[in-house]
Amino acid sequence: MAFLLINGEKKQFDALPENIAELLKHLDIDAATVVAELDGQIVQRQDFAKTKLIDNQKIELLRFVGGG
Amino acid sequence: MDKLKIANKTFESRLLIGTGKFSSNQTMARAVEVSGTQIVTVALRRVDIANENDDMLAAIDRKKYLLLTNTSGARDAEEAVRLARLSRAATGIEWLKLEVTPDPYYLLPDPAETLKAAEILVKEGFVVLPYINADPVLAKRLEDVGTATVMPLASPIGSNQGIQTRASLEIIIEQSAVPVVVDAGLGLPSHAADAIEMGADAVLVNTAIATAKDPVKMAQAFKLAVEAAELAKDAQPREKIKAASASSPLTGFLRD
Repeated sequence: MAFLLINGEKKQFDALPENIAELLKHLDIDAATVVAELDGQIVQRQDFAKTKLIDNQKIELLRFVGGG
Repeated sequence: MDKLKIANKTFESRLLIGTGKFSSNQTMARAVEVSGTQIVTVALRRVDIANENDDMLAAIDRKKYLLLTNTSGARDAEEAVRLARLSRAATGIEWLKLEVTPDPYYLLPDPAETLKAAEILVKEGFVVLPYINADPVLAKRLEDVGTATVMPLASPIGSNQGIQTRASLEIIIEQSAVPVVVDAGLGLPSHAADAIEMGADAVLVNTAIATAKDPVKMAQAFKLAVEAAELAKDAQPREKIKAASASSPLTGFLRD
């Protein structure tokens, strides 16, 4: 059992996705539209597949929305 | 009027469009197109991982429109800087609408935090367009730290109240060495025209267009109003006077 804090919510995994790209696939989120921050550090999109995840990390996933 | 120039870019239109509150991405895209704008603002938010999210950026042709991410939601300088860096990482675009609004009711911008964030972001190479209250001293301070514009509000965001800060806006326009973009509160095309006629370099409009019953028609109305005001500036109106000045000749009447 492993956990990630995703956008402020604790999410439980039987097996932790190996990297950010895998996590997005698991969550059914299109990686091309997302900005990610892992433990407060920005992760560039081209590094999603290289960025390993470990238990209890804090990840923020953001995307663009309409705004003034 | 000369063309609008912000930082190193020149723009054909003096109307900037916000993309919030539209009923659909299709309507937003159509309104943006009809408005003739070249700058559109967007926001960054957490992905809702429980629900499917539309990719609104897909609806914006980034070859035609400069994407101006705002830092809405930021309550202090630190949060604004964080959002700015995330936006740049996502888009590669250094242009940023800086807004720091800790008060959720009136959404008035925090001057101290805005200035603090602007200083940091300018040093990091961002082209900073700060949203501010119509405060001439703050506008000067921001210009001094190197912001590309100042964007004073006409009235609270989304209020449609029009220009309630006239006296201060006039001072900002008179003193500013960077373009003045009147942002927030413009509810009708006449308000936008008023701002341009006062000497503002541009206006930013979102709510008035997005929440109209027909946003596309309203986008066109704002475009025409801004263009009419530009023409009027070029035509150089005569100043106001107190007494009447007859439009018809007063001589040669049927009287001895």
